[in-house]
Amino acid sequence: MAVMFHSQCLPIYAVSLLPRNLRHTEALRTMSSATTRGGDFEQLALPLFASLYNHAHWLTRNQDEAEDLVQETFSKALRAFDAFQPGTNFKAWMFRILRNTFLSTRAGIAASRTVFLEDHPETLDTTAAGPTPEDNLIRLDNQAALHAALERLQPHLREILLLCEVEEIKYKDIAVILDVPIGTVMSRISRARRTLRSLLQPPLGASL
Amino acid sequence: MTQSIQLNQAVEHLDPERLSAFIDGELPPTGQQGIEQHLTTCHTCTLRVLSATQLKAATARAGHRFAEPHEALARLTAQLRSQIQAKPQLQAEAKRTARIHSIPSLRLAAWTVLAAVILLTISLVGWRQLHQTNTLAAELLDQHLATLSSGATPQVISTDRHTVKPWFQGRLPFSFNLPDATALPPDTTLKGADLTYLNNQPAALLLFTIHKHEVSIFLTQRAISPTFTTLPSTRAGFTLHTATTPDLCIIAVSDVNPADLNLLVASLLQAQAGG
Repeated sequence: MAVMFHSQCLPIYAVSLLPRNLRHTEALRTMSSATTRGGDFEQLALPLFASLYNHAHWLTRNQDEAEDLVQETFSKALRAFDAFQPGTNFKAWMFRILRNTFLSTRAGIAASRTVFLEDHPETLDTTAAGPTPEDNLIRLDNQAALHAALERLQPHLREILLLCEVEEIKYKDIAVILDVPIGTVMSRISRARRTLRSLLQPPLGASL
Repeated sequence: MTQSIQLNQAVEHLDPERLSAFIDGELPPTGQQGIEQHLTTCHTCTLRVLSATQLKAATARAGHRFAEPHEALARLTAQLRSQIQAKPQLQAEAKRTARIHSIPSLRLAAWTVLAAVILLTISLVGWRQLHQTNTLAAELLDQHLATLSSGATPQVISTDRHTVKPWFQGRLPFSFNLPDATALPPDTTLKGADLTYLNNQPAALLLFTIHKHEVSIFLTQRAISPTFTTLPSTRAGFTLHTATTPDLCIIAVSDVNPADLNLLVASLLQAQAGG
């Protein structure tokens, strides 16, 4: 790094060898182009701030860590913005960077070591049936109960459920964000819903 | 599994995964229509779809739980603007370096060399100052980056100002005050310190953390460091904040947002005034 930063001083000699107006124009064009690109990034990325923060808070479970995570995500995304392909899903791209950044933190590394059973179908009880009509009689108007159930949900199930329900991201984009096959996305979302439903039942299942 | 409706053969109800994909609109049109047709005749599955849809909507409401802290967006915007301003400068410098290799004509080169010599002669004094400022900024940044490496351990490791400050006695030709932990801005911690050299002069390097960001604070004698006041405010995405007291020059280097860095520098200035 030391060599890199010191070498930035060297072009001062070299620059003076160019016609001054050419040098100035070129520099202005470069700065203008990069500033416009930065403006484009802001226009696309800043509206996602609230969503990214909410998701980061669910991941980190801490306000300061969530803000730091989002700041780092934006910083990385800005640096990599030239690599973003227009026409692809920018929101999914940002959420992927957020997730990868989270996975590089201590909490994220611990989470990534978890092995998910539904990703290994041979370990699952495939005979398990869906809920009966009686099981559907749960209360969904109790926000506190839902919050508590979401808190108790396993992190990988909660994460995918939030991407699907809250962020309304399509399965194919969730597959890109989580770096898993689309079949895993489908089975994991289904499992997350069944688990969430079961977590809502014990205290409230008897009432409608 | 086929694209047709996946039914549980024993009770002929919808498979949970297909039901889930159905309410998300993730099935192909034929699969979607097949399930809709099944629902017209199956009361049980209709109830399950209704219940799943309600759970989906309720989860979406409950998941929107954490609102961003007050001014968090402003902090983020400031950080981005700083980064955006730093980026074109680096790119412009890189382009300039590239252009020097593409001069088409030797004659043009000769004229430009002559022009450069004249220009350099005229602006020698101003350039020397600029060069010195750039070198100092690079030196500050290099030292800050060195503290970020995992193997870098401060010479004195302590969060207590009563340990850190006396450690410099006899090592520096000047003294300074450190604010008490309670006088530091929120979530700001003193980690330790190093004795270092800036511009070939001894300096104190204080290491802080703000949130999870590392901060390097350089303290040096003002009388021997007049060029520090002309340092750029950002370099390579890092903020350089300079402040002075009658005796000291304080330079802060970090990638934390400038507002938080200003608070820390302000608390250091206050400590000097109070000492």
